[in-house]
Amino acid sequence: MRTRRRAAVRSTPKILRELKAAQIVDAIAGAAERWRDTDFPPRVRATRAVMERLAYTEPVVDYALDRLFGAIARDALRATIAGELGSLDALDDFVARQGRPDVRYAGLDLVTIISSDTTIGVAIPPLVFAACAKSNVIVKDRSDRLVAAFVETLIAERPEFGEAIAVETWNGHADPRAVAHLSTSDAVVAFGGPEALRAIRAHCKPDARFIPFGHRTSVGYIGRESLAHEERAREAAAGAARDALLYDGEGCLSLHALFVERGGALEAESFAALLSVACDAVANEFPGDFGARAPAVAAYREAAHFRASQGRGKVGGGVVTPHLVVVDPPRDELPPLLPRTLAVYTVEKPADAAAFLRRHALPLEGFAVAPGARPDIVALGVEAGAMRIARLGTLQAPVLTGEHGGVGRILPFVRAISREG
Amino acid sequence: MTRPAAPSAAALDVSFLAMVDDWRRGGAGCDDAGFDAHARALFVHHVERNEPYARYAQSCGFSAVRQPRAWREIPAVPASAFKDATLATFDVARAELEFHTSGTTADRVGKHFVERAALYDASLAAGFDRFMLADRPTLRFLNLVPNPRFNKRSSLGYMLGYVSVRRGDGGAAYFVEDDAIDVPGFILAFESALEAAAAVCITGTAFAFAGLLDALDERKQSFAAPSGSRIMETGGFKGRTRIVARDELYRRLEAALGIPQASIVAEYGMTELLSQYYDTLESRSSPTRIKAAPPWLRTLIVDNAGREVAPGEIGTLRHFDLANRSSVVAVQTEDRGYAARGGIVLLGRDADAPPRGCSLDAEDLART
Repeated sequence: MRTRRRAAVRSTPKILRELKAAQIVDAIAGAAERWRDTDFPPRVRATRAVMERLAYTEPVVDYALDRLFGAIARDALRATIAGELGSLDALDDFVARQGRPDVRYAGLDLVTIISSDTTIGVAIPPLVFAACAKSNVIVKDRSDRLVAAFVETLIAERPEFGEAIAVETWNGHADPRAVAHLSTSDAVVAFGGPEALRAIRAHCKPDARFIPFGHRTSVGYIGRESLAHEERAREAAAGAARDALLYDGEGCLSLHALFVERGGALEAESFAALLSVACDAVANEFPGDFGARAPAVAAYREAAHFRASQGRGKVGGGVVTPHLVVVDPPRDELPPLLPRTLAVYTVEKPADAAAFLRRHALPLEGFAVAPGARPDIVALGVEAGAMRIARLGTLQAPVLTGEHGGVGRILPFVRAISREG
Repeated sequence: MTRPAAPSAAALDVSFLAMVDDWRRGGAGCDDAGFDAHARALFVHHVERNEPYARYAQSCGFSAVRQPRAWREIPAVPASAFKDATLATFDVARAELEFHTSGTTADRVGKHFVERAALYDASLAAGFDRFMLADRPTLRFLNLVPNPRFNKRSSLGYMLGYVSVRRGDGGAAYFVEDDAIDVPGFILAFESALEAAAAVCITGTAFAFAGLLDALDERKQSFAAPSGSRIMETGGFKGRTRIVARDELYRRLEAALGIPQASIVAEYGMTELLSQYYDTLESRSSPTRIKAAPPWLRTLIVDNAGREVAPGEIGTLRHFDLANRSSVVAVQTEDRGYAARGGIVLLGRDADAPPRGCSLDAEDLART
């Protein structure tokens, strides 16, 4: 438990824009640091509320909050902003650039962020960067009030946040208040499925920046060289299991299809056996189940069982164990976009996987590879449209210093002003 | 327990048709023992003549040697297996009927080959007469499905074609072509039935009815169907992106066509089965509709591990259809429901499961 006391709320509220970007970064990092403490009372309350809202187990929610607030560190914030804008100081004043006019970045006047109702804290990183940009921010929060609780901590760090950030309950895009906010915002960040995003976008003003984070999925590829030794194969299997089962396999970074090259020292079928063992271990660390989609998983398992009885593919788990691994399901079908279910496709080369991904036009968020992946495997991830290429086992732990959903972290919230001459 | 000998197709067909005939005449059709004996005889027939099924049964621990002790133990193939294998007990070149499934994202379609049309004809006619035509011998059929002459692979089309000819008044017509409803054609036919005071049976999928209602709304048209008219709704919204609650659909149908909700009957069938469920007469006025089937179609409600659930508990439907002599007797569906007095209550699939996470699902792709 932290014992350091925070400064009392200042008597004269200041405007966020009057602060230096470095001061904002420090305050945000300070607030996040408090939330890294699992005993921090607001975090304890939020953990319970998130568990209640999403029915994830405590280890899963703890993992999510550890990742979320662990990533919001001073150095990471500074590096990200400097990486995207060239300099943190460019948020405060004009800065010189080599061979280009001086530039200053001003935050957009109003940013609205609509939290996802189905994930944990995804609205917080955009909130943090919009605040760094010194924008006024409205966050539409969900029933667990996670964002509201974090904003209270931010305000405790610096009361200026209280002037700039408002957290409200989201009552749907048809709510008159939501319509008013959406129609006056300069940027709108929204998470959700195609229908929700379409509806929200329709309410935005024509020149608003719309930053949609739609539903996506993730796949992985393991080259035969990664199956050259059992130890490496075991490591890859452990990583794949973690990527597939965390958040019950329901995130956009959840692994749903894994391409495994034939011709390694360990054949794909043997790798699948290692994968099942690894899934057992992950299921112990992060307990979960198939939830309301259990009937669909059962149907998928039975279909795979039938094919296996005809000598086509294999199936493991799904009855006693809360995870299902299916080897070589039909290529003309989508991979199983089901919880805790992973399809393993045996391939000769990346082109086989590319053909599959092209055929199904899957919107990819993550592309997982084994350590030291060959260039042609990495190239597959680029060609397939992935937003992020990461090592197996780290798909669910994106770094704050990387982009999100293919766009910058702070760039969407700023206007560049160049000063010539 | 004696092990049934491998029965011939002819013997099984004779036995089945006698069962249907008995039921048509008001008899029981088959009792528990009769159902069990026939189902187990079909199992033996299937494992000896249907290789893919024999392999599947073997993987479940059953064979011609190690037979199920009761019909409930007969291994049920998932409905999707009709896509993955030719599940037939005969050379399919001799099939009198061939039906295809629809509405999947895969290139392959499920194919149900039927060796003798007489089995399907007998089964569907008996069920239709009992549940749709208990009060009169004929109706005028206005079908919101494609004409089966141009869509010979639709089991629903075949069924409606059969009853339109055998139980129709000669004025049957079809109003769907290229996935579009011929609304003017339907209105003309409906008005013609009104003039002739001919009771109609309007058949179609829930999706087609929703389309028709929208078109009638646009035209601001509504009708009062002749007395004795009815609707047979089937197929739900499978594979469609639009969902309309059944209550709302029936309310709108009553308002637009003047057919009371109690005269709207939901039929439940599958390409993979040759017998159908219908709303029972008693439940048509109640909020919870119970579906009943002829006695040669029985259903177990199973959990996600395939075990039978306690009576009244929700589970997945596993059908045993004795009319399926030339394919497989037991089919595992993805449909959810529970057992109720005299039948089952159908709940549809699990598509309404609350979403979690930001992962893509197949519905997302359909909506994009």
